[in-house]
Amino acid sequence: MTATTVTLPTRVADLLASEWIKVRSVRSTYLALIVAAAAALAIGVFSGATVNTAHIDFTTFDPVDLSLSGLLVVQLAFGVFGALAISSEHSTGMIRTSFAAVPQRRAVLAAKAAVTGAVGLVAGEVISFAAFFAGQLALSGKHLSVTLADPGVFRAVAGAGFYLFIVTLVGLGLGAIIRHTAGAIAAVGLIFIQPLLVNLVFPDPRTRVGNYVLLWAGQSISSTRAHVTGYSSVGEAVVVCIAYAAVLLAAAGWLITRRDA
Amino acid sequence: MIEAHDLTKRYGSNVAVAGLTFSVLPGRVTGFLGPNGAGKSTTMRMILGLDSPTSGDVTVNGARYSSSVRPLHQVGALLDANAVHGGRSAFDHLYCIARSNGIGRGRVREVLNIVGIEKVAHKRVGGFSLGMKQRLGIALALLGDPAILMFDEPINGLDPDGIRWMRHLLASMAQEGRTVLVSSHLMSEMALTADHVIVIGRGRLIADASLAEFVDANSTSDVLVRSPRAADLSRLLTEHGAAVATEPDGALAVSGIDTPAISSLAAAHNIPIYELVVRHASLEEAYMRLADTSTEYHAEDPSEPGKDIQP
Repeated sequence: MTATTVTLPTRVADLLASEWIKVRSVRSTYLALIVAAAAALAIGVFSGATVNTAHIDFTTFDPVDLSLSGLLVVQLAFGVFGALAISSEHSTGMIRTSFAAVPQRRAVLAAKAAVTGAVGLVAGEVISFAAFFAGQLALSGKHLSVTLADPGVFRAVAGAGFYLFIVTLVGLGLGAIIRHTAGAIAAVGLIFIQPLLVNLVFPDPRTRVGNYVLLWAGQSISSTRAHVTGYSSVGEAVVVCIAYAAVLLAAAGWLITRRDA
Repeated sequence: MIEAHDLTKRYGSNVAVAGLTFSVLPGRVTGFLGPNGAGKSTTMRMILGLDSPTSGDVTVNGARYSSSVRPLHQVGALLDANAVHGGRSAFDHLYCIARSNGIGRGRVREVLNIVGIEKVAHKRVGGFSLGMKQRLGIALALLGDPAILMFDEPINGLDPDGIRWMRHLLASMAQEGRTVLVSSHLMSEMALTADHVIVIGRGRLIADASLAEFVDANSTSDVLVRSPRAADLSRLLTEHGAAVATEPDGALAVSGIDTPAISSLAAAHNIPIYELVVRHASLEEAYMRLADTSTEYHAEDPSEPGKDIQP
């Protein structure tokens, strides 16, 4: 075919805009994020309000972690959102239309990762900070609340949002590899099962295998206390998180040109 | 122009497309014919670079489809009208694809008007009938005003009005000088729509000819003759070089000799003739006969019980 001359920035803008239209034009996006926000706020407030001040062990008590405890559940909604961004195209057959319109499949995947990742990051940060403030409000009556100015607090809350961004990309990578919505969502659920499996197979913490568990890396980023042992720094946990997203997306990118659409 | 050269696609030991070589030229409607499972859709997916051929290649305007940038301006295709996200509106469905090729909202509204679904543009596609989804798919193919159009079974699900509209659309697109490839498993439909036919069966090319050539080459005609002295007449005609077969009801199916000759011979030998009719096999029958030898899935003919059981 005759080559159409289109500059690279124009093509990037075209693909990002196309993926943004896809994300904003389906209800599942709003549903996933609204459910996530509601759950995060409700669990954060409930956890703060039900703390029994008479039985607090101040060596482990973390008011930040407490207000963010909803995120354990909420990450599932982010993972599903990421998976659906591509698995819904495979399940419906829409992916053929997308690839016929843009035969550079890796560029399509990259644009999807940029758009769903950006939505996941913004929504993750908004929800994390909202849950933090709501949780601290519930704790303030008991004089247990902290502020963002306290040591490590801002980093923990922002880290929670970052972790939700990572889970979104992990979901996208799994969706792109598995190509079926149900299978991809089941795979996202493995995030919860992975810690149990690691505990079962490697009960000795000295093996340090626990350091590579995604959920634990996320928890250590989003708490002010290093009660998840093993990480020499928060930076190490951040690297583990990024590696999960990067490896899955790279595998998806490798497969995407090798399989018939 | 679409050119396939020795195009082959295997799935394990199953050969879906076997060494197809053909060209689809501009300015006419090319019918892509074959029974279900013949490899039409697989071929179309390979043209669009969605499936990669096991061997051979196919080019669009001289280049591989997968190397093209903003291909909607060159090729518009409708493969599967149901391959849409049911939760998206018709407008957003078209717009997200249009935008990836630098096509704006204005053109999306235009194509919605062309296919006549502008009133439901902001309704969710999940509630559309198959006919409406076909129109939506055709709208998507028209987005880039491409010189090549490719539709897989576009008549499916259309009402009579929609079918007439579709035929007219295909004809006018070809008249404008575009390359139009339309697949169908219905010869009767292609007889009304196509100027040229490419017929495949079990992944192999059976015919690649203009509609007229295809009809001439494949639709035989014979003469049905009824006579009270059928046996005598049969012998007589055979002596004069005709091929004669006896129909189940005793009538003779005669070929290789024309009606005046049959009539004169019978008169010369005082054999009465009750009926003398020229029978033209329809294009449908010609296609069925061709396809019969290359159909993957056969339903047994209930009028011939046990014909497949060999002693």
